[in-house]
Amino acid sequence: MANTGWDEFEIGAMLRTFEGEAGDVVNTLQEDRNYTQNSSFSASVADWRIEKPVFNKDYCIDCQFCWVYCPDISIISRDKKMIGIDMDHCKGCGICVEVCPTNPKSLLMFPEKADEETEIAQWPSKEEKEK
Amino acid sequence: MSEMKKIKNLKEFSTSADRFEGANLLCPGCAHSIIVREVLNATNDDLVLAASTGCLEVCTAVYPYTSWDASWIHIGFENGSTAVAGAEAMYKALKTKGRLKQPDRTPKFVAFGGDGASYDIGFQWISGCMERNHDMMYVVLDNEVYANTGGQRSSSTPIGASATTTPAGKISYGETKNKKDMMGIMAAHNIPYAAQVAPNKWKDMVKKIQKGFATEGAVFINAVSPCTTEWKFDPKDTMHLTDLATDSLVFPLYEIIDGHELNITYRPKNIVPVEEYLAAQGRFRHLFKDQYKYLIKEWQERVDANWAYLNRREEARV
Repeated sequence: MANTGWDEFEIGAMLRTFEGEAGDVVNTLQEDRNYTQNSSFSASVADWRIEKPVFNKDYCIDCQFCWVYCPDISIISRDKKMIGIDMDHCKGCGICVEVCPTNPKSLLMFPEKADEETEIAQWPSKEEKEK
Repeated sequence: MSEMKKIKNLKEFSTSADRFEGANLLCPGCAHSIIVREVLNATNDDLVLAASTGCLEVCTAVYPYTSWDASWIHIGFENGSTAVAGAEAMYKALKTKGRLKQPDRTPKFVAFGGDGASYDIGFQWISGCMERNHDMMYVVLDNEVYANTGGQRSSSTPIGASATTTPAGKISYGETKNKKDMMGIMAAHNIPYAAQVAPNKWKDMVKKIQKGFATEGAVFINAVSPCTTEWKFDPKDTMHLTDLATDSLVFPLYEIIDGHELNITYRPKNIVPVEEYLAAQGRFRHLFKDQYKYLIKEWQERVDANWAYLNRREEARV
């Protein structure tokens, strides 16, 4: 179906997300699913980003706020731990950084071309609260 | 399968395997997908979904891609609700005849629609579904504007908002009509469950969605969905805007059971002045000119009156 032009597309046609039987989708994590080319999971919107979030796991408390408020399913949480960011699907909106409650934040936005390791090495230190 | 999914805290919730995929074409920072994820992740059951025309539909089914991992139908502007109602009627008929291939599975029927598709265009169809009391859930993604077609006003657009068909200027302050009370109208169908939710209060929201899934009969959900493009704020502030909407009581969170039992489910500790909510959005910028400042006062009075009304209804159980 992926190679059919839009004008060859039949009315009432179906796009299949998975190869073969869909199976038990609810209990299968994304990395174990057998996506077809028609699932937007196989596409990328990485070129939308101007800024990218960088994750510093040293400060993360696994509260999962970023997971629940991410509009693009780009926060990867496994076994109740935040393990990273899906850079193919992140659009760089910055919501994860805004909702991060730690001090200093464990997620920060940097320009798309910034080097992750350099930025993590010079991560800002704890901010004193104004009294 | 029919057992309710246990979600005690956010960590437990985060073990859900999403059935909605990224690389959809919704704007960065769009609240639609946050709401959709919270709805879909609230259950482990199979899902039969539909979306009426609107941002959600056109952005999640851009040929040749689909962002849905459940059965989902792409349908017209007005009939997302009836498509799901039809599927539900079919399911019930097959069940009665004992012709279901997997009788142990209990699919849930959910229709999504924007405020344009629900408050205006699909209104009579939704009303029909609610009246016939199909065992389905209708979720409105209420961003108070026709965002998909360029920001025209809908009957959900509140007073003073500048939309492309009600632009603010020297003579006009924007939209002149008040927002339609959709919750009241839907509850008047005496449906078993109607609730207003906001994605920032995820626990309240998931609780209501699960209650809706457990309810037999029609369920109506109205979810606030701040639109970064048409409300004109920075994409990163989506959750901040939702916080302001719920804490200023512009968008109070409550549920109505059987059309009369109203419960307020969230009472903000610090009520934020409506002015702060208005000031955070570009579509209300003109209200802060001297000429239109009186409207802010009117806004506050309207919100206070609505809150008092809800409190009275909660107390009186009518």
